[in-house]
Amino acid sequence: MFLNLNLGEFLAIFGGIGVVTIALYLLDRTRRRQVVSTLRFWVTPGLPSPVTRRRKIQQPISLLLQLLGMLLLLLAVAELHWGGSASGARRDHVLIIDTSAWMRAGAPGRPNGTLMDLARANAISWLRAVPESDRVLLLRADALATPATSWESNHVKVARAILETKPGATAINLTQSIEFARQLQKQTGSVGGEIVYDGPGRISAAEGDAGSTVNVPILRYLQVADPSENVGLRNVGARRSSAARDSWDVLVRVRNYGKIARTVNVTLNLGHAPVGLHSLTIPPSDDQETTFPVHTKAAGLLEVRIYPQDAFAADNYASLELPAQRSLHVVVYSDSPEEWKPALEADPRVVPEFRRKAEYTPANDGLVILDRFRPEPAPAGNVLWVDPPEKSPISIRERVGEPTGLRWAPDQALSAGLREHDLQIPSTAILETGTNDIKVAEVDRGPVIAARVIDDGKGKIARIIVMGFNPFAGSLRYELAAPLLLANELRWFAPEVFRDVDVAAQSAGTVSDSFNAPANGDVQVVTDAGTNLPFNLHDGKIQFFTGEAARVNVISANAERVYSLTLPEMWDRKWTPPAGVRRGIPAWNDSIRRGTDLWPWLALLGAALLLLEYLLYGREMSALLRVVRAHMERAGDAAGAGGRAA
Amino acid sequence: MANAPLLDRKFLERLERLTIHWQKSFPGLVGGHNRSRLPGGGQEFLDHRHYLQGDDLRAVNWRAYMRLDKMFLKLFQVEPRVPVRMLIDVSASMAAGDGGKFDFVRKLAGALCYVGLVRLDTIEVLPFATKLQEGKTCGGGRHRFTPLAHFLEDLKSGGTTNFLKVVREFLNDYPQRGLVIVVSDFLDENGCDKALQFLADYGNELMLIQLWSDEDRTPPWNGECDLVEAESGARLHIHVDAEARARYTEEFDKFAAGIRAVAMRNSGRYAGIPTSTPLEDAIFGKLLQSRSVA
Repeated sequence: MFLNLNLGEFLAIFGGIGVVTIALYLLDRTRRRQVVSTLRFWVTPGLPSPVTRRRKIQQPISLLLQLLGMLLLLLAVAELHWGGSASGARRDHVLIIDTSAWMRAGAPGRPNGTLMDLARANAISWLRAVPESDRVLLLRADALATPATSWESNHVKVARAILETKPGATAINLTQSIEFARQLQKQTGSVGGEIVYDGPGRISAAEGDAGSTVNVPILRYLQVADPSENVGLRNVGARRSSAARDSWDVLVRVRNYGKIARTVNVTLNLGHAPVGLHSLTIPPSDDQETTFPVHTKAAGLLEVRIYPQDAFAADNYASLELPAQRSLHVVVYSDSPEEWKPALEADPRVVPEFRRKAEYTPANDGLVILDRFRPEPAPAGNVLWVDPPEKSPISIRERVGEPTGLRWAPDQALSAGLREHDLQIPSTAILETGTNDIKVAEVDRGPVIAARVIDDGKGKIARIIVMGFNPFAGSLRYELAAPLLLANELRWFAPEVFRDVDVAAQSAGTVSDSFNAPANGDVQVVTDAGTNLPFNLHDGKIQFFTGEAARVNVISANAERVYSLTLPEMWDRKWTPPAGVRRGIPAWNDSIRRGTDLWPWLALLGAALLLLEYLLYGREMSALLRVVRAHMERAGDAAGAGGRAA
Repeated sequence: MANAPLLDRKFLERLERLTIHWQKSFPGLVGGHNRSRLPGGGQEFLDHRHYLQGDDLRAVNWRAYMRLDKMFLKLFQVEPRVPVRMLIDVSASMAAGDGGKFDFVRKLAGALCYVGLVRLDTIEVLPFATKLQEGKTCGGGRHRFTPLAHFLEDLKSGGTTNFLKVVREFLNDYPQRGLVIVVSDFLDENGCDKALQFLADYGNELMLIQLWSDEDRTPPWNGECDLVEAESGARLHIHVDAEARARYTEEFDKFAAGIRAVAMRNSGRYAGIPTSTPLEDAIFGKLLQSRSVA
């Protein structure tokens, strides 16, 4: 058998060499024209007579010697091996070692051992059985397949890489890993060996549903026995409660991966203080959810644990960092606060305070609403001016009654969602806006709502809005546009307060979550380390991937989500190996040792034949012999002259 | 290398210690052998040369010595002389192959002429192929070498060799006996033995220098060859193998032995020189061994 080439490659290479050799031979032996000093010595009797027919091959023995020599040398290159079984041929193997998160699970019957320890032991045993001449490539496989070594004949390096292999945070994509191994084998161009999968064979539901079959000529499965029972956290999410101020709704989902129903206790701690305990009975291969209300305004660490502990501890605990809940303090100076109360008290993130005009102070720690009021001095910071009677920051051109032709600025955040054009405004002030002012709403006579951003040059930015009419006065309060306009204005004054914050703990790997992309498409996906992750917005979902545990922030204009990807990505089902898969540790070394290497003898014999051909028919050697002969003659002549002189 | 000199100066300096040697006494020579060529007192001044150990101190130019602190020897012209005649083959066969023979014959002729010039011999160079061509006579010291070198450089090869015709012309034109140096490959379709014998029979002393290229003696080809004779254009389609090449060389050696036999039979000298031999080795080796120069 050939260890270095297969039969097809050998025949193809030898055919090519043979054709080139014969072509060169014929070219070398073709008749050539030579101008000589005389022909008299060629036509002397006894010398060969002139030929009239051109023969294609004049020296067949020379050609045969050349071809035979090259054949033997090529056989030596192909490393012809005599004896032994077919499995003893030198090959390239790929060892896929499972580094999924599940490999952290405790090994059955081994108190301190993990599945990873069993997989390492399996891999080392298999490596010992591999013939020393075979090359091995170690592939660490979780959600991504990563080569840990190159093609190595030095098995010590492979063993070292096996011992350094550690579990990851994601589930294995076994089909992709085996396909990758197959591609690596094809690229080597040498004889393909085995693809060995070393692991428990637990795959995700997506991979199992895909049902792709692995088409591998030689696949070996070194199965790692794993525990059958496990209950773990699937994900944990926290969202601001829509019902109560300073409150979070924490959703915990727990899955029973085992084959029997299990009852577990889910505990919730905030800042190491217990805030909740639920007991769940989960059917086999099913999920259950439970919700905990958590009342806190401050930031804190939220920890979720499930009891009792099982063989896989990594999914029994999750933690979230809850951010502090922000609010906007709004001071309203109005003679009719009842007009503003319903709108301002509807949002728990707004803390309204209603004062009479006589109680005016210029202090402003959030937002001041001046309803038909022009105090002296005017408040600094964010101010919403409503129909200012005089000295309006955006000057008033005129006042009109029942204006017509109401239009909303189409591309402004302040007018987002506002479409009403038949709003009946009793009277309004027409504003004299500058070039940098934002016109939010206009009527036929001019702008009636305008906004301005004032930069004092020292890093402080103040925002003001001047409205020519009170949207909550009279029948306007019953229009949908009034609260919507106020909501837009509040969000414009303090966007960080009204940004929706969701916090979730789930597994690493591919994250796919529903997401309302902003109109301007300004979305950032960054890790805690500040690394921007590539992401995809498609069909109302955001998708990104992280191969290791990390904390990822998804930030847009209106929302912020914090993904604490600390939970291990778990499997969903057991992998079914294809038919004909090999199992266990092979015994190759014995068979390969029984064979005999012939290539040194073939190389020597081939070289000897080529040397013989060169000596018999080679031109250069003839020239060399001529030079040697000429020197010998010269020496002979000198000796003769010396003799004559003597 | 088109402007390269025929012979470089260092090589010419080495040639100054040599003398063209002949054995016979010819009418017209003073003393009848080479030693008589040395200048004598009272003769016409010809040239100076560096003093060499053994030179006659009486010929030293003492005035020059007092001025320059170097010893120069005064040389004087000795007349009359029988010239040394050199027949050089410029036929097409000399330029066959890589043209090595033609280059070699010009350089060798130049070197021998310089040797003669230094010793105040008069040398007549006569190129030939089918017939005797216009020659060049030089004599009177080394400073006359340059025109001769130009003459040799301007020679063109061509024509078929006809020794018999050339010898007849030579004997008609130059009836005075003397040393005749023939530098050739002696490849004449009709043979050259008879012509050379004529030369000897007329009382000339023969110095035959046979040149051959490596291809002439040991052809390197293998297999089928179309051989074209350089002079006649005759063609021969032949299959060459090791045995044929060996027989060819054997025939060539027989031919060279025939040339040598003509020279030896007539008390002449013979030197066979392959053109692969460096010129210096040819002169200080083969020609010295054959006593053509001393």
